Amino acid sequence: MAGIEKASAPRSGAHTVIGSSIVIDGEISGDEDLVIQGTVKGRISLKESLYVESSGVIEADIETANVEVSGQVTGNIAASDKVELKADCKVVGDIRAPRILIADGAVFKGNVDMDVKATKGK
Amino acid sequence: MATLDGSTIIGESILISGSLAGDEDLTVRGRVEGTLTLTRTLVVEPTGMVKAEVQVKNCVIAGVVVGNVTASESVEITREGRMVGDIAAPRVIIVDGASFRGRIDMGEVDVGGERSAREEGRPMARPVARPSLPSRPAPAVKPAEPRKVEEKSAAPALARPAVPPAPVAMGSVKRKVLVKTKK
Repeated sequence: MAGIEKASAPRSGAHTVIGSSIVIDGEISGDEDLVIQGTVKGRISLKESLYVESSGVIEADIETANVEVSGQVTGNIAASDKVELKADCKVVGDIRAPRILIADGAVFKGNVDMDVKATKGK
Repeated sequence: MATLDGSTIIGESILISGSLAGDEDLTVRGRVEGTLTLTRTLVVEPTGMVKAEVQVKNCVIAGVVVGNVTASESVEITREGRMVGDIAAPRVIIVDGASFRGRIDMGEVDVGGERSAREEGRPMARPVARPSLPSRPAPAVKPAEPRKVEEKSAAPALARPAVPPAPVAMGSVKRKVLVKTKK
């Protein structure tokens, strides 16, 4: 189910794909969907959605609207809309987003913060 | 779906700064800054901008590249392509309309053999050309000889071809004189 959704909806809008053999060490920023099948170290900041596929490995702080993780992420994730940890993903780091979904089978270690406005107020 | 496997695309609004390495084809429609190392082909599309030290197998530039490009096979700058930097590749293709500023190194170019052949050819041509000046066969030899010389030393080459017309002028003067005497 989830796989079909991923394949149809986001892919049409995703212009950027980081292939499985690609290693990026540095900063990625942009205003469009990003699909990562390779390795990224550093920082990712997007205004749209980030898809970390099962072959994707990220060692970076992430700042986006949406994040969907099927691969490995080490670093803090801050999303303005939603973070989704799919089955078989491995995430180490803090997550901050109004909506957080963790699927059965996902491996996660870190803090979760859904009440973004409250923490800002405090 | 199939196109997603093994091909990397950097979209128009994406900026990557840092180092990028990989073993697959890469298409850049956005911006990449830093270093770019691939074992396959880099394609910089018209909207793409690469400000990086680039090391690839093949490189096709239809966008903007600022930085040095080293390719193990070829570098091609297309009609829309603009590049500033040095190119090192065995094959370099720059098409009409492309703009490029920098140095090109195609590796070992066998220029030595050609030069020695030209130098041998020149002294042979000169002795033939000079004594033949007053005689008619001179123009037949001339066209080949001045071209070779012009490449290296323009001044002496230009001076010599100017001489042969002289006998023709002399001849015309003589005829005029003959006409006058008849009248």
